[in-house]
Amino acid sequence: MDELRHSENHLVLVLSLLIGALVGLVIVAFILLTGRFAARMYPAGGAGWRRILVPTLGSLVTGYLLWRFFPSARGSGIPQTKAALFIHDGRITFRTVVGKFLCCSASLASGMALGREGPSVHIGAGLASVIARNTGLSSKQVKALVPVGCSAALAAAFNTPIAAVLFSLEEIMGDLNATVLGTAVLSSATSWMVLHLVLGDDPLFHVTGYRLVNPWELAIYAVLGVVGGLGSTVFVKLLLHLREWFARLPRNTVWLQPVAGGLAVGIMGYFNPNVMGVGYNFVEKVLNGDVVLQTVVLLGVLKIAATAMCYSSGNAGGIFGPSLFIGAMMGAAVGSVAHTLFPSVTAGPGAYALVGMGTAFAGIVRTPLTSVIMIFEVTRDYTIIVPLMISNLIAFFISYKLQQEPIYEALAHQDGIHLPTAEVRAQAAKSQVVHTMREAPIILTPDTLAGAALEQVKDSLLDAWPVADRQGLCGMLRSAELEKVRADGSAAKEVRDLLNEQSRDHPHALESAHVHPDHVLGLALERMGSSGLRTLPVVSRANERQLLGIVVLDDILNFYGVHQSSDESGTRE
Amino acid sequence: MATPVSGLSLLRTLLMSIAAIAAFFLIDTLLARTEKAESRASAGRAYENGMRLIQQGRSLDAVGQFKEAISLARENPAYPLALAQALLAADRLPEAEATLSDLLQHDGTGGAPNLAMARVLAKEGKFMDAVSYYHRAIYGRWTGDPVHNRIQARSELVDLLVANHSTEGLLAELLPLQQEAPGDLTTQKKLALAFTEAGSPARGAELFRGVLRREPQDPDAYAGLGEAEFARGNYRAARVNFEAALRLRPADEASRQRLDLSNQVLALDPAQRGLSREEQYRRSLKILELAVASATSCLVSPASATTKDLIDSANNGLKLQIHPARRVEAMEKNMQLADRIWQIRRNECKGAPATAIDLVLGKAAQ
Repeated sequence: MDELRHSENHLVLVLSLLIGALVGLVIVAFILLTGRFAARMYPAGGAGWRRILVPTLGSLVTGYLLWRFFPSARGSGIPQTKAALFIHDGRITFRTVVGKFLCCSASLASGMALGREGPSVHIGAGLASVIARNTGLSSKQVKALVPVGCSAALAAAFNTPIAAVLFSLEEIMGDLNATVLGTAVLSSATSWMVLHLVLGDDPLFHVTGYRLVNPWELAIYAVLGVVGGLGSTVFVKLLLHLREWFARLPRNTVWLQPVAGGLAVGIMGYFNPNVMGVGYNFVEKVLNGDVVLQTVVLLGVLKIAATAMCYSSGNAGGIFGPSLFIGAMMGAAVGSVAHTLFPSVTAGPGAYALVGMGTAFAGIVRTPLTSVIMIFEVTRDYTIIVPLMISNLIAFFISYKLQQEPIYEALAHQDGIHLPTAEVRAQAAKSQVVHTMREAPIILTPDTLAGAALEQVKDSLLDAWPVADRQGLCGMLRSAELEKVRADGSAAKEVRDLLNEQSRDHPHALESAHVHPDHVLGLALERMGSSGLRTLPVVSRANERQLLGIVVLDDILNFYGVHQSSDESGTRE
Repeated sequence: MATPVSGLSLLRTLLMSIAAIAAFFLIDTLLARTEKAESRASAGRAYENGMRLIQQGRSLDAVGQFKEAISLARENPAYPLALAQALLAADRLPEAEATLSDLLQHDGTGGAPNLAMARVLAKEGKFMDAVSYYHRAIYGRWTGDPVHNRIQARSELVDLLVANHSTEGLLAELLPLQQEAPGDLTTQKKLALAFTEAGSPARGAELFRGVLRREPQDPDAYAGLGEAEFARGNYRAARVNFEAALRLRPADEASRQRLDLSNQVLALDPAQRGLSREEQYRRSLKILELAVASATSCLVSPASATTKDLIDSANNGLKLQIHPARRVEAMEKNMQLADRIWQIRRNECKGAPATAIDLVLGKAAQ
């Protein structure tokens, strides 16, 4: 325990295990409760009026609860998680977690056409945040544990441990190389393990093995990619427009707005019950080839409208699950037509429904890598991966061209939150030391006499100069050390002696006073601050003594356009 | 090195998390058990509904019920098996095959799924695959009454081999089946017929005689014994049994046709015991006459020079008056000539049904 108190890294590892187990169990409870309540609220084959009444009343109750007690629990949860991560130092309150659990359970049990995965991610992230903050971890470590909670939640909600980790990195963190990979994997695996312990080893969808019947079939999968891209765009745009419209309504109607979604889904459900709820049972039927073209087309359209209406009116629930439902319907429709026209060279509609799920997910959520792995994990079927990749990329490209802002960023934007976009992150990656470094104008040798060194640097504006011998860089000699020589008249000293004296005076400050070409400029600035130098040596990663150049504060400021140096070369005119 | 976190808050948080894990584990286990029990009960109801529909001949409606049962309780292999059987009954063969493939992936040695797969493949016309799955069913694992199920599987395999006239392997299946099969008359008659089909009419005849000893008024057994004797070339015995079958079942057209054929053979065959030389010679002339007439009517004119020569030679032979002392030699010559003409006729006039003359010449060749 004492060791844990003193080592945050060890503590984070232990907490990753705990978070994985707890989040997994909480999400399993969330799924089981939601399913049980839903089966009792609007049972299959029940009276039509119940299908109108239950979602209407459900949305009225949850609408009031969300407005009065849990305003942060509205919507999907993924934009809120990202906002917590990037803006609020990973802070998600316990109240939000409880609100999300209660309101989403009630909302999904009453038949809202929304998903449980987004809320699960928010609950998981919230639990991770609460635990991390209560153990007294630094805000940096709290932020690092938020994606750990997300991974655990998605692994349990979707039974996809690898896709859960990828989703946390690709969508939540926006960085596939994030340092939290290890802890995210740990929590995801733990969560998946408890899920299996409780519910057994069953994939989310049981699917007949599909394969590519003929290479020409790839052309049809490409068509599915186009349909998926267009369908995704329609869904996203409709949802965003409706949400904007609801946002313009008077503030005092916020508690009542979810009823519009509940009533809409109730009316649709009266005519076709399959539009209600998460709808995974129907998706499984379609995946196994139980496809009637008119039904899947109608359900695809109804689900787009119902989910857009439910979400935009402010109900609690996500769009992750509905994306898969919509995708399965689009895929089944394309596959059904293709199989009717070319029965000998195409697989059954179920195969297309399977690929369609990933396609819509890539088009709507814009995480193509996650979607490929997720479909593989959901179905445990590798044979359909190549068509899936082709279809996904086409849908992703079309969706990106027609709706540049990804849905979660657009939703956050509508709420006045500006999350760091992929472009911003890409821009940050471009701001590296290599873009501002230059050759060192003067390199002193250790055996140079101080007087000679003073003569060499007299026209230079730099505050430190690299000292190098045959083996390479020995250190950076500060101008202050040379000024001391001028003051006390010890010009006979060698530069080597001055470096040694400098090391004695500043034992730690100069230890890390170097950068590599691929370091971001922010780190260079940080190191300039900690060392007190405005000039840092740039050295090779393969050999720290190999001097590649120098980076100067003025050059960094010039790069950002905030400062115009009077001396570009670092020497006096 | 990070700032040390507060020991008390760390301990409290860890303990609370562990307590929450334990509590949620209990809740989840309880919920999952309840859910599973309810699902199993619902699946059982759907399965029973499906079986009821199958009995009513509504296999298409049963398919939906079995699918429902599977989605509720995947762990029960009886449900996909029932689904496959319903699909087979509804002639939705590819779906039945896919369902059974999945099932066999998990239970490749199960006798019941292998037997069902064999039935599907047999219905799809995939003869070799079906035979292979029948073998897996025969040597597979059966949970209830394995002896009966294995006999059933082997018996179906025998039917398939008989239907496909696959005598190769048929005898290999029949011999163990004869040992294992129950002694009821239906099974014994079926076995006897199969032995006859498999080229072992003596065994077939023996089994039919066994049946007749137990049930002397069985027309099927007489007809079967007639077939077995006919296959053995015992046309006289065949005639006796066909006549017995017709006495018991006068409307048996197949037996009547076989009786007529037997009579024709007996009327033509010059090698029968007890015939005078005069009669033997007369029959050889009749056979030669029938061979020439049949060949002339079916051969495409102009026939080849060899054929023409043979027919001319036969016609000349038919007109000749042979001295009684040389009639044995002439009879043999007539039979050889008739056989050569008949060979040509058989090659040139494909598709012509087997006739008495075939059987007589075949017997003579032996």
